[in-house]
Amino acid sequence: MAPMDGTAFAAVSDDAATTSAPIPNPSREVIGCDALSRHFGQVAALDDVTFRVGEGEFLAIMGPSGSGKTTLLNILSLLDAPTSGSYRLDGIETANLTEKDRVVIRREKIGLVFQQFHLIPYLSAVENVMLAQHYHSVADRDEALEALERVGLAERAGHLPSQLSGGEQQRVCIARALINAPALILADEPTGNLDADNERRVMKLLESLRAEGRTIVLVTHNPALGRQADRILRLEHGRKA
Amino acid sequence: MLGRMLWRSVLEGRRRKSLAAITVALSAALITTLFSLSVDVGDKMAKEMKSYGSNIRVSPKAEAMPLVIDGVDYNPLKDQDTLEEADLPKIKDIFWRNNIVGLSPRLAVAARVEGAADTSKPAEVNLVGTYFDHPLALPDDPDYRTGVRATNPFWRVDGAWPNEDMAGAPSEEVLVGANLASRLDVKTGDELTLSLAADSGAAETVKVSGILSTGDAEDDAVVAPLALVQGMTGLEGQVQSVDVSALTIPENELSNRARRDTGQLTAEEYDVWYCTAYVSSIAHQIEEAVPNAAARPIWQVAASEGVVIGRIQVLLLTVSLAAILAAAMAVSSLMNTTVLERSREIGLMKALGARRWEIQALFLGEAAMVGLVGGVLGLIVGVGLAQVVGRSVFGTGIDFQWITVPIVLVVSVATVMLGSILPARSISSLSPAEVLHGH
Ligand SMILES: Nc1ncnc2c1ncn2[C@@H]1O[C@H](COP(=O)(O)OP(=O)(O)OP(=O)(O)O)[C@@H](O)[C@H]1O
Ligand SMILES: [Mg+2]
Repeated sequence: MAPMDGTAFAAVSDDAATTSAPIPNPSREVIGCDALSRHFGQVAALDDVTFRVGEGEFLAIMGPSGSGKTTLLNILSLLDAPTSGSYRLDGIETANLTEKDRVVIRREKIGLVFQQFHLIPYLSAVENVMLAQHYHSVADRDEALEALERVGLAERAGHLPSQLSGGEQQRVCIARALINAPALILADEPTGNLDADNERRVMKLLESLRAEGRTIVLVTHNPALGRQADRILRLEHGRKA
Repeated sequence: MLGRMLWRSVLEGRRRKSLAAITVALSAALITTLFSLSVDVGDKMAKEMKSYGSNIRVSPKAEAMPLVIDGVDYNPLKDQDTLEEADLPKIKDIFWRNNIVGLSPRLAVAARVEGAADTSKPAEVNLVGTYFDHPLALPDDPDYRTGVRATNPFWRVDGAWPNEDMAGAPSEEVLVGANLASRLDVKTGDELTLSLAADSGAAETVKVSGILSTGDAEDDAVVAPLALVQGMTGLEGQVQSVDVSALTIPENELSNRARRDTGQLTAEEYDVWYCTAYVSSIAHQIEEAVPNAAARPIWQVAASEGVVIGRIQVLLLTVSLAAILAAAMAVSSLMNTTVLERSREIGLMKALGARRWEIQALFLGEAAMVGLVGGVLGLIVGVGLAQVVGRSVFGTGIDFQWITVPIVLVVSVATVMLGSILPARSISSLSPAEVLHGH
């Protein structure tokens, strides 16, 4: 088991952007879920789900609407906790973590892309990206602009979210999720609002992230994206199908 | 980054924030007004209260018991101890000299009045000698004038105040108390003959310059310039007692102990007491300054003054606290709405890994700015309001105290902070998964 601020992740996140990726070790467990369940009152949004994701793996989660995909991703990103079952992240049993620990882990290790793209309405695109940098370490405008360029938004950096289209907002969210070079990327339908061009751009981005050795969990309805993944976890009514 | 965010976020909800700032400004204006008044009011009110009489009586240490029959003191003056008139300036030369509003000496004797329209036989009356508005050269103010017009401003004269500079003139001017005047049917301008009741010696012819109403014993007396009574009694340069009107602050536990026995105080307590304008410490200093004198607070007046001023200040404080509380509650509900409205934003910050204090700092920082803006607005309005109230209630402007500025600003920011405690708490209990999910 690795310590909480595991050096394996730190090495990846520090160097990934600049140097060639260290070789990931897929037999090292990053995510380990056992009999995971999440109930909302009577509704079992997740029911007895067990799976593992190794270092550098790309897992796609697929399933119909309401099957519990977002619920699962919320648990994986430590925004929510399971009603029962266990979730180990990077070898640590998350049930015992304090709220503070959860915030620290989220900040240090996880890049999040939400299904509904959430941006701070009064900050420009580049400032929204810089905010994630700020919470992680220090804001760096040049780095943030570079991240926007990677998603094809360099010339929209100064616009407010309300001045951007849905697809553009979604790409700002992706840039924000990647800005701190997280070891684990959790994305909830990142291509839902994108045209074919931008979808391809995002797919290429994911491919290069995988090449950098990041671990990726991606929720998608898109079969093409699903095929890109190493494995697919199918959910139906909160259960593994 | 945080600074820029704060700024953008402040501009974001301008309307609601202006509303909160106005709420704070109202309470800040009220506090500024009340604070200015209550700092200034102590002085102003003490001066007002002084119009109800003097509060320290200075008399000889070994004063003989007065022999009062039917309101007239028959105790022969020559048997009484007296104070030297020449010592009077010393009273106005103590540490608290500036708090002494005025003093009026007294020399009272039983006298016979003749010559009134309605007197077949001479009437026995009290003859009181005093200063009306008499020069009293002080070391630092040679032109100082004082007397009953300063110490007893509520004395009303129908006619004119006697001219005190007529010593030796054929008929000196006196006042006749209102009751006595109606009893003897004396009118302004009448001439009377005064002689001592005890012996049938020298008689003085005097002219009534006015009729005096005091609501007190003087309504039944003849009040004359001090020098006249001194001349009649042969007590030149002597007075029986001196009434002193001093501005004092309310008594407290320290001054009460000092009143019982100054020996019980520690050296430090004694210094504090001595250098505070309690009626007891002023009386004490008068005793030190004037030989052979006993200075006693006239407690009913002195104590009730302190109590009234104290009570009014408590009242002002209570109203201020109520205003602060009301403003805090208004801000609290405004902030609560803001937090609810911005719950997605807060959830997002949490999801991005913001520490709890970072989010709270953003909201509290906004609150502080609202408080500051409200405080400044309130100060400006409040200072103006204080002037209006000062003019209409006390008839004078209120001196602006610079200390009001930091106090009101701190109170305003604290008010907003107080109102933000609960909303800021609800920030920490907000679950990002729920607000971001949109359920
Ligand atoms: N906070 C919540 N309170 C109550 N019920 C919830 C909550 N979150 C999710 N659910 C329920 O759990 C089930 C799974 O929801 P979830 O959002 O995980 O579906 P999903 O697979 O992400 O669907 P979609 O593809 O439409 O995004 C749904 O029935 C949903 O109504
Ligand atoms: Mg979903």
